[in-house]
Amino acid sequence: MIHNNLSSQRKHSLGFVVFLGLLLILIAQLDFSLSITLGLGLAIGFTLQKSRFCFVSAFRDPILTGMTELSRAVIILLALSIIGFALVEWWFRAQQIFFKPYVFPLGVHTLVGGSLFGIGMVIAGGCVTGVLMRIGEGFAMQMVAFIGLLLGAFTGKQTQYIWKNFFGEWNSVFLPDFLGWFPTLALELALLFFLWKMLKWWQVRQLNK
Amino acid sequence: MKRPVNLIVNGPWPYWVGAIVLAFLNVLVFIVNKTPWGVTRNLEAWAEWLGLKLGLPVTNFYTLSDLLSAYGTYTNLGVIFGAFLATLAASQARFRPIRSKKFFYSALIGGFLMGYGARIASGCNVGGMLNGIASGSLTGWVFAIFILLGTWIGSKILLKYLI
Repeated sequence: MIHNNLSSQRKHSLGFVVFLGLLLILIAQLDFSLSITLGLGLAIGFTLQKSRFCFVSAFRDPILTGMTELSRAVIILLALSIIGFALVEWWFRAQQIFFKPYVFPLGVHTLVGGSLFGIGMVIAGGCVTGVLMRIGEGFAMQMVAFIGLLLGAFTGKQTQYIWKNFFGEWNSVFLPDFLGWFPTLALELALLFFLWKMLKWWQVRQLNK
Repeated sequence: MKRPVNLIVNGPWPYWVGAIVLAFLNVLVFIVNKTPWGVTRNLEAWAEWLGLKLGLPVTNFYTLSDLLSAYGTYTNLGVIFGAFLATLAASQARFRPIRSKKFFYSALIGGFLMGYGARIASGCNVGGMLNGIASGSLTGWVFAIFILLGTWIGSKILLKYLI
């Protein structure tokens, strides 16, 4: 560590806070909700960094080291998001506010895309969000990964139709339409609880702790 | 030194605290944007914009003002700046060079695979998995299973060639 003094960059961080404050004010002049969104993004980046949150570790560590603490944190994040989204969607419907959840068609592209994504994030040392976070932390490796990401995203966009035309795709499945809201939530939360228990058991088995 | 403020600023926070705070922020993004937090859709838009500027054939013709008024631009910029602020606040900000040449290539190839995979599957860990699942989509769950499969293959590659 070059900076082992925990306050050696205090002046710079004050300066950066002033810069961010001005940026938020500037964007709020153009569009208030964009400014709020930037604020939320900043909070997300700050939280990701402070809690060393990393989706790659969550997927990889149970396989490589047997450590499942972060995987279980992702399960908490999933469970709380499921509950939060259900409440927000219920409220949006009640207020007749138009909203667009992420319900996409399922197809071979989902399977191939998921596998390539999994391989890529392990060898790039971070998933997409992790790459952005590590750019903020100053890692040159993830700055290179970012260039790869842009190239890959561009190529993916231009060739997605090939996968869809060749293999076709099934209709998107919005689970509450099939099972009803309450059974969907109950089933998902039960499944996550089971996964949580299983990961706990796996860690004890692998590492005895 | 162990005052609460110092703990928050210097970290690290326990993983479960991060999970709870992130879930809260994730739901807030959904409330403000009326659509969930996603990362790669916006990166794809920037990539297409750059491609258009370079004269490559593109699917969507984005203008700079489209990109500057997209929510994703601000969450992505926020994540970078927020993480920078987090390291700066703990006086740990510095440039961290690549340790060896093979990591340069693994980052480039890994980034490419990840970007490609995310954009044919319509999402990354955040937009595809986390918020796909949170939105009640079956695709999110299937995507998660195949990310796990990819991670397993990726770990084999990691052990064989990179470590």
